[in-house]
Amino acid sequence: MVVKRKRETTVVSKPKAKEDSPPAVDNAQDVFRKLFEAQFEPLDLPAPTAKAAKPSNSDEDEEDDDSDDSGSEGDWDGMSDISDESNQVEVVEHTDARAAPADRMDKKAWKAFMSGKVVSSLDKPTTKPEPSSKKEEEEDSHDMMNLKHDLSLQRLLTESHLLDSADDLAPTGKNRLKALDLRMQSLGAKDSLYAQNKMPTAHRRGIKAKAATKEDKRRREAKENGIILEKPSKVTKSSNNGRRERGVNGASVGKFSGGTLNLNKQDIERVQSSGRRMAGGRGKGKPKSRGGKR
Amino acid sequence: MATSQPPLRFTGHHNLVYRLVLSTLTGRTIHISQIRSSSPTNPGLAPHEISFIRLLDAVTNGSQVEISYTGTILVYKPGLITGSTSGTGASGGMINYELPSNCNRGLSYYLIPLCLMAPFAKAPMKVFFSGPGVITSSTPTGDMSVDSVRTAILPLYNQFGIFNNIELRILKRSNPGPTGRGGGGEVQLVFGHQVRLPKTLHLMNAGRIKRIRGVVYSVGVSGSNNARMIETARGILNPLSPDTYIFSDVANAPLVPAPDKTNPQAKRKIGLGFGLSLVAESSTGCLFSADVASPPSGGTAPEDIGKQCAYQLLENVAKGGCVAPAAAATMFTLMTMGSEDVGRLQVGREVIADPSVIQLARDLSKFGAPGWGIRDAAGENEHGDVIVSVVGRGIGNVGRKVA
Repeated sequence: MVVKRKRETTVVSKPKAKEDSPPAVDNAQDVFRKLFEAQFEPLDLPAPTAKAAKPSNSDEDEEDDDSDDSGSEGDWDGMSDISDESNQVEVVEHTDARAAPADRMDKKAWKAFMSGKVVSSLDKPTTKPEPSSKKEEEEDSHDMMNLKHDLSLQRLLTESHLLDSADDLAPTGKNRLKALDLRMQSLGAKDSLYAQNKMPTAHRRGIKAKAATKEDKRRREAKENGIILEKPSKVTKSSNNGRRERGVNGASVGKFSGGTLNLNKQDIERVQSSGRRMAGGRGKGKPKSRGGKR
Repeated sequence: MATSQPPLRFTGHHNLVYRLVLSTLTGRTIHISQIRSSSPTNPGLAPHEISFIRLLDAVTNGSQVEISYTGTILVYKPGLITGSTSGTGASGGMINYELPSNCNRGLSYYLIPLCLMAPFAKAPMKVFFSGPGVITSSTPTGDMSVDSVRTAILPLYNQFGIFNNIELRILKRSNPGPTGRGGGGEVQLVFGHQVRLPKTLHLMNAGRIKRIRGVVYSVGVSGSNNARMIETARGILNPLSPDTYIFSDVANAPLVPAPDKTNPQAKRKIGLGFGLSLVAESSTGCLFSADVASPPSGGTAPEDIGKQCAYQLLENVAKGGCVAPAAAATMFTLMTMGSEDVGRLQVGREVIADPSVIQLARDLSKFGAPGWGIRDAAGENEHGDVIVSVVGRGIGNVGRKVA
């Protein structure tokens, strides 16, 4: 019921608007046509205003036009009709028609013009902003949409292996978490969030050995088939460099535990040997500083 | 510089401002005598001229001014145009300049010459005008409004390659007070583009008027005056140029201190009135302006102001050429200060026949600038325009040369 009522109201309102708008359009057209005819030849279109004013006359004109090929008389009548009407309209219409739309100055234009800035060409923004801004908005929205689509396509391509079926293009549940992890890595995360970093040694060794054999196999097969692969990346053994990272304020030798600094044999040897070397070889500056540190 | 040269001698108070500006720009000492010496009641320099000399003193460094007891003789030895460097009267990079209440000239009287010197300053020119003598509207003494300066004079600097960081803010509007003296406006000028030499100008195509803009202001009176002025002006201008917009600004009346015995803090309203500033821009960027404001005595209908201003604009446009009469002095001076090259400018016959322009030409030649070459404009020259060839002096910015 409610819907019906709504429809009724809209139906009622529409014709009102229609009734209001046409006369203005006609007047504007009249003015334009008069201007055109002042410069060029008169138009021999059947005037819509003439129709509205006296339909019987216009019918006759049309008949005349149909019957006479020259149509000079018909043209003449049209001219006189139009000029009579437009003379009346021009005086009244002139200020009203133009003042109404032009008085509305948008705030943007006002601000642009009235700001202290010197506009090199008298406020370019005021004339353009409406059409250009609309266009820009449209373009912007287009661009935004395109970017969104691009992004989703990229994601789909990179994460498609996670998807179980082609039905759901957005990963869910576990897959979603994995996809997020992938994205994090692509954005610069060092390791996967789900990489297991605590496991039995045997387990880890197995994994490493497996990876090594896999790589070895791949390279061997490639070599046999004459495929050139990338050079094997050198595995840097950070742990094997001998020095582990020490705390900022901690001791530079030995192991500090339980409130005591424990030096094993190697430490002592190293310290003694370096001290000797320093004292003998390089000079006096260094060992002093070392000593201070200790 | 030019200390050894003898001072240039002028007589009379006419064109005093431009003489002072030219003196500052060229570095020549001037000696002006017989300033209103024949006037029995007000001999010597007028208050607004003194104010301008004070302003010159504020924006330059090392200039010396000597005025005789009666004020009829002025010797001005120019210094360097420093702009608003701190330590020379500028606080916070801004020179605060107060105009006294007996000033009867609009602010454009100070602004236009100041803008002429600003491109040749050492530092950006930032001046804040305040005090009981700042009139932002056009005045009966023939000064244009500050709006017109902003919309019709300052854009011209763009043609000389001066366009960066130029602002003219009207913080408070004011029409002339009663009897045409005093106001309470506040205006801030920022002229931040300093050049060595302005570009050589060749402007010989006036084009056609493509748009008209305007500012209509009412200070302390009803805003309906604005609407009435706009309606009349648009009624005249719209059929000629459909792209006509006039922006409306309604401001409160400014308050100036008026202490009396009972209340030393008392203030009074000043500078009530309304006015209209119109600017027409041609397709080649030439600007023509018109300015009318209500007289201080009142009694004029806004419709009359609107009509008068619209007709004045049309008259200015009809004078032809690429330069409006009000902007001619600015253009010619900048061209003269340009590089040693021939610049050409098409000017309406009536514009160049103006006594002030001719006086300017004479003064320029006295300052050592080569004479102007004048010939009839080529092509279909329906207004009888002339083309003025101006050779630059190549002095430019003395401060920039050193720095």
